[in-house]
Amino acid sequence: MLLSSDKIQKKQQLLRPNMERLSSQTADRQPGPIRLADPNRKPELQQTIRPERVIIRSKDFSFYYGSKIGVEKITMDIEAGSVTAIIGPSGCGKSTFLRCINRMNDLIPNTRAEGLLAVGGQNVYDKNTNLVNLRQQVGMVFQKPNPFAKSIYDNVAYGPRLQGIRRRSELDAIVEQCLRDAALWEEVKDDLSKSALALSGGQQQRLCIARTLANKPKIILMDEPCSALDPLATARIEDLIAALKGTYTIVIVTHNMQQAARVSDRTAFFCLGKLIEYGRTDVLFTNPAKKETEDYITGRFG
Amino acid sequence: MTTAGSQSDAAVQFTRPLRLTFRDDLSSTLLSWLVKSFLFVVTFCSVAAVLLIFVFVIRQAAPFFAESRVSPLERLTEFFTSRRWFPEHQAHPEYGILAIIAGSFYVTITSLLIAVPTGLLAAVFLSDIASFRTRQICKPLIEILAAIPSVAYGVFAVMVVAPWLQKNIGFPTGTNALNASLILSVMAMPTIISVAEDALSAVGREIREASYALGATRAETMLRIVIPAAHSGILAAVILGMMRAVGETMVVWMASGNATQIPSPWWDLSQSVRTMTATIAGELGEVPQGTTHFHSLFAIGLVLLIFTFCLNLLSEHFIMQMKKPKR
Amino acid sequence: MTLWRQIKNTLFTALCSGSVLFLAATLMIFLLPMLWKGSKAVFFRKTVEFDKMQKELFKRGHAEDLERRTAQTNQARQEALALLEHFSRGIDTALLSREVRSAYQQLGRHLRYLEVSDDEYARLREQAKDIRDAFLQALETTDKAEAESLLDTVDAQQTNPRFQNSPFEVVFSLSKQYRQILQEIDLSRRPEYAAELDIVKTEMRNLFGPLPGESIPPLPQDRFGATRWDVAQRHLQYLIYQTKWVPSGKDDKRLIPKQIRRDDPEEGIFGKTELAPLFSMVEQNLAAMLQPRPTIYWRYFLDDSTAGHYFGGVGPEVLGTLLLTVLSMCFAVPLGVLSAAYLVEYAAGGITTRIIRTCINTLAGVPSIVYGLFGLAFFVLLAGNPSILSASMTLALLVLPVIIRASEEAIRAVPQSYKEASLALGAGKFRTFLTVTLPAAGPGILTGIILSLSRAAGETAPILFAGAVALGPIPDIGLHLKWLFQPTRALSYGCYDITVGDRLAMQVPHNQFGMVMTLILLVLLLNLAAVLLRWRMSKKLQGL
Repeated sequence: MLLSSDKIQKKQQLLRPNMERLSSQTADRQPGPIRLADPNRKPELQQTIRPERVIIRSKDFSFYYGSKIGVEKITMDIEAGSVTAIIGPSGCGKSTFLRCINRMNDLIPNTRAEGLLAVGGQNVYDKNTNLVNLRQQVGMVFQKPNPFAKSIYDNVAYGPRLQGIRRRSELDAIVEQCLRDAALWEEVKDDLSKSALALSGGQQQRLCIARTLANKPKIILMDEPCSALDPLATARIEDLIAALKGTYTIVIVTHNMQQAARVSDRTAFFCLGKLIEYGRTDVLFTNPAKKETEDYITGRFG
Repeated sequence: MTTAGSQSDAAVQFTRPLRLTFRDDLSSTLLSWLVKSFLFVVTFCSVAAVLLIFVFVIRQAAPFFAESRVSPLERLTEFFTSRRWFPEHQAHPEYGILAIIAGSFYVTITSLLIAVPTGLLAAVFLSDIASFRTRQICKPLIEILAAIPSVAYGVFAVMVVAPWLQKNIGFPTGTNALNASLILSVMAMPTIISVAEDALSAVGREIREASYALGATRAETMLRIVIPAAHSGILAAVILGMMRAVGETMVVWMASGNATQIPSPWWDLSQSVRTMTATIAGELGEVPQGTTHFHSLFAIGLVLLIFTFCLNLLSEHFIMQMKKPKR
Repeated sequence: MTLWRQIKNTLFTALCSGSVLFLAATLMIFLLPMLWKGSKAVFFRKTVEFDKMQKELFKRGHAEDLERRTAQTNQARQEALALLEHFSRGIDTALLSREVRSAYQQLGRHLRYLEVSDDEYARLREQAKDIRDAFLQALETTDKAEAESLLDTVDAQQTNPRFQNSPFEVVFSLSKQYRQILQEIDLSRRPEYAAELDIVKTEMRNLFGPLPGESIPPLPQDRFGATRWDVAQRHLQYLIYQTKWVPSGKDDKRLIPKQIRRDDPEEGIFGKTELAPLFSMVEQNLAAMLQPRPTIYWRYFLDDSTAGHYFGGVGPEVLGTLLLTVLSMCFAVPLGVLSAAYLVEYAAGGITTRIIRTCINTLAGVPSIVYGLFGLAFFVLLAGNPSILSASMTLALLVLPVIIRASEEAIRAVPQSYKEASLALGAGKFRTFLTVTLPAAGPGILTGIILSLSRAAGETAPILFAGAVALGPIPDIGLHLKWLFQPTRALSYGCYDITVGDRLAMQVPHNQFGMVMTLILLVLLLNLAAVLLRWRMSKKLQGL
């Protein structure tokens, strides 16, 4: 009896790292922003994430496609408001892991998940996860820009409409705000009724980001968002990520190590379905702890 | 501008609950179950339609076999072995469909003899010889050929082909087995081509390249490697073409001459024949409902239905074989 | 050896290309004559008779203009018609004898009116009767001398004052006429003349409508002359030429047909008669008599027709076909698209799905005539009588598998990334299907729908017993929905009936081919729309 309650407590601690913070939240407590990429801060202070700042927690999480391993025994915490990059050679499971966070892998038949993958304290692979709310609040930007074959306006308004917002004025405001946030407003404000497919690749991707923002997510998952774009468009997306940081938690999968180094606070290196190394970006890139990481970032394989 | 602290708080806090409430769970499960079962019921309409077709055709055909005057066995024997079809006769109506079945086979087999080689060669052309542009032109052509209504082909057979046959070849009648077969072959060809082309394309490029790499010409590659490898799909194509020809009504009704006879000598295609479909189409409109003649026409329909059903199962089997990876 | 292989290879390639060329040639051999002959129903040279027909049957056209042209053509025809009438008096003695008899009867009434004494009356009647009988005898005899002597006895009474200024006076002028005719024709050939004259008269009627003095025929096709210039040309040939069977000249005794002009001075039957000028007169002045002008009869696609499609167009058939196909789509499209949605999005690969697929394939393979049987057994026997509703439901079953397959393919072709994007935004499965997948698959599904529309429009066998008729009232479309329970005409069944079933229609091949052309055009247009749609779709997808 005692043991079981103890277990429950432990589990709750594990699942809800920010419960404590929420209950102890007081007006005088002012920890200040944690700017992980801030060069002035001492590195040792930023190595670990305070429990109340953890928004995604993965503990011994494994995912299988039938008998094939997608990812295995991943244990990592992701901090709220930060940008986390996941790098690794192709087929290493980085996209698989990302798509598990909002359960996009459900579309693939014959898959199986084990271990814990919690978002905001809720194990996403639990039966009682509200998938609709999860996906609304964990947005995703895909590798290839995939706007719907509708107008720009309708693309952005798709999410709010799903949530039952029908008033034109309200929708107008949301669309404008999101397009502004996605730095697309100036380019498209004159013809919002144009088909989204008529935009350039970079614009389409920013539109997809705006579409995601319109859902007011907490987390944005980006699955190689720049792989289909030219360098100029890539730069714009990267600027956008920098601007969104803090307000949103961003997890970005990328092939491009320079990109990871430029935009992220923390970086995780995946290889063959396993998490090899996870830590502050500057540390990981300048002083990797593992040999595989070093080999990869110096270009010896991958 | 909010303070940095509350900003980061907002970043962690989720506004909508991620945990499913019982009510949400119930309603969404119920809704998805409802949607799924509704769609299933709708889809099941096709199954119901097939069942209904069988049930109603059998129900109308049953009185023909279960008539009190003659035993069912006698009826069946007469039905399939007698050549004499005189259902209108007052005192001694005769219901033998052997000649009618033979007529169906005459036009079907003859049309396949024309359509299969031509269709197969055309499929080879489309899958292996034609350039992309040529294919873009040929595809709509074949689609048009398939889209032209059968009654239009029938009119063509009666008004153009029949006088031509009579005048230039010297047949006693223009509406005969050959005329119907010619038109049927044109009608069956689009089906044969498209299925056979799918089958040929399903045989991968590697196997062709392997053959070419060994120095085989295109003809040798196609005839010895690709076509044998695609045999099940090609068989399916032939069967589907056959189904089209057997089931076709308007053309044979208009062009075959509608004489209940087995041509003699057997190879004489210039004679008129009558098929199962034409018999039903021609007589059903004039018989009073509920007579033995009326039910006998449904019996012919049942024969036709069972025959095409078996062919369909056969073609499905071959198509399944085609789709299965051969490794 | 290598050369032989090369030759074989070339031969094979040539055969393959040849078979496709053969197909293309077949298509051309089929399409070109059908469309060319059919186009004559719309593009042709109309005559003044056409305008008369349009005015009378369809109440359209300028009344004054038509009147003017009628007057002009009547004037042009007058001479020829008068000639014909005059000549036919000699041959067709029935006309003369009728006039003589009526003159005799009128004389009686006339005498009563004059109030002559009974004796006088009886005497005059007796005299008149003698004259009449002599005249009738003269008409009947084939001996010229005898006829003339009989006419002499008639003429002897000409001076009788009692007959002067009486209705009987006309008999003497008739006798004069007949004398003249006797000079011109060979009495022994009169039966032969009568038979030929009958043909000439029929052809003149075919050209110019009812001859002067004839009552208006009850059937619309007899009321007008040649409405089209090509028909007029054909009847002109029939009018001018007769077919004679002559020995072929070689030793065998076979007879071969020979075309001879009827007014040929040597061989033509009317060569030496006063009718001879008629033929060249009609031949040379036919244009003035009929006033042909080119026209585009686009109303052909809308007009109702007279019996046997002799005049008019295919309007009711087009309407019926549209009703049947659109209504069948109303049943088949929701069923088909939802079934496809189930098969793509929900169906697992179990035994149920396999059964469903087999059934859909079976449905696609059922011969169309069996659909007709089923339509009769199920819909008609249930509903009571063949109707638009039962026919369209039968057609709906027929196109259901087509729509399911096309929709399934279209839904499967929607990129997975679309669905992912919608799901990632928090939309449910069915919501995603309705708001994202279905609109994206829309053009593909629409293509399938258009193609099955064309299939349904062309099918004949399923509606043979379920609701198609050759002749019937035009559906009166309205909210009362009664029209749903009536049978209708349809293009496909009409094509069958007009070529095989209807004797009258065989006289108007342009209308026979016109209806088939309408059906083919309808189907081709639908297919063209589908091809364009697919083309636009592929362009759009490439832009993605």
